[in-house]
Amino acid sequence: METGQSARTTAAWPWISTAARLGLAAVWLVAGGLKVGDLAASGRAVNAYQLFPYEVAKAIGAAQPFLEIALGLLLLAGLAVRLSAGISAGLLVIFIAGIVSAWARGLQIDCGCFSSGGELGAGQTPQYAWEIARDAGFLMLAGILLCRPRTRYSIDSVLMGEA
Amino acid sequence: MSSKNTRDRAKAKRIVQEQLARERRRQVTLWTTVGVVAVLVIAGLIGWGVAAGQESNKTANLTTPSVAVDEGTAFAVGTGPVTVDIYEDFMCPHCEEFETSAATTIDQLVTANKVTVRYHPIAILDDASTTEYSTRSAAASAAAAQGGKFAEYHKALFANQPEEGSAGLDNAKLIELGKSVGLTDATFTDAVNDGTYDAWATKATDTAASRGVNGTPTVLVAGKTLASPTAQALTTAVEAAGT
Repeated sequence: METGQSARTTAAWPWISTAARLGLAAVWLVAGGLKVGDLAASGRAVNAYQLFPYEVAKAIGAAQPFLEIALGLLLLAGLAVRLSAGISAGLLVIFIAGIVSAWARGLQIDCGCFSSGGELGAGQTPQYAWEIARDAGFLMLAGILLCRPRTRYSIDSVLMGEA
Repeated sequence: MSSKNTRDRAKAKRIVQEQLARERRRQVTLWTTVGVVAVLVIAGLIGWGVAAGQESNKTANLTTPSVAVDEGTAFAVGTGPVTVDIYEDFMCPHCEEFETSAATTIDQLVTANKVTVRYHPIAILDDASTTEYSTRSAAASAAAAQGGKFAEYHKALFANQPEEGSAGLDNAKLIELGKSVGLTDATFTDAVNDGTYDAWATKATDTAASRGVNGTPTVLVAGKTLASPTAQALTTAVEAAGT
């Protein structure tokens, strides 16, 4: 019974990981896709955090949507899942740190996670707690993949001869 | 004896196969890692290149209105000693609210010759309309300024602010509003139709962002940002700066 249980869990992990992989891929593709149309706005969203000089913020804002889409495609294809998940986790930690710092400094901004962000108008309340919770959820998906990178329907499994 | 030999050979073969498989997995991991890093670096560089290309495209044929002040980014109303900078987007509902509630105060301060108001039309809400109304309206206001009617046209634009998510006002409507404030010549009409000042609007927005203006309305009195832009806060700050 005991071994049966653990065998079932072992068999389930690749499926759980596959769901996490596709979920995280969707997150990156949507996040990048919503920003890629207006790179100048993406730069202004980074600038709104007031952490970098404007020129640096512009460069980050320009590179970020493409980076997010590339990560999304890599995860979707299932190529180097553990590494992609690790980089995802790193990015998410940076994003969360950025939101925490904006919150701590009392800035009135939208995180620009799934939009072009920027400063909020009078009467709008920042949603920092919700934004952090959401990113933490995504971080958990990355965590699952870091621990259990073996997934179904991935290029990794084909290359490793596990298909 | 011979059966032991067979077993040993099978064992050796298995060990070699396992080693080969391990080696293969190591190679796959190495090359996929290299591939992923290369893909991400290239993606980032593409973004950089695309953004730089878009910027030079959008600011090509830059025509700065000759009447613009403050490095060619703003239009001055009044000649008073205290400088008030107002950054607004004609698409922004909170700017419209500010204009509605503070217009009388601003007019009085200008008439009493207490302030010089520098209006900075910027375009940060192009996403909020389907026709980049932010940029087009800011550009039209520059054309109006060139025709000597900025203050009047600015009021007309806020009085006719389109809904967020709509197509915004079309060029014909922008020209009609110009006519209503006395901009009847072909120069204004052509400037709106040709998008003469579109590049200028993009440039002014970029300059504002480089100054740390990340939202609208942003109101500065004598260089200091009002925490909450209201008519009351404006009056108080002007009084404080004027004494």
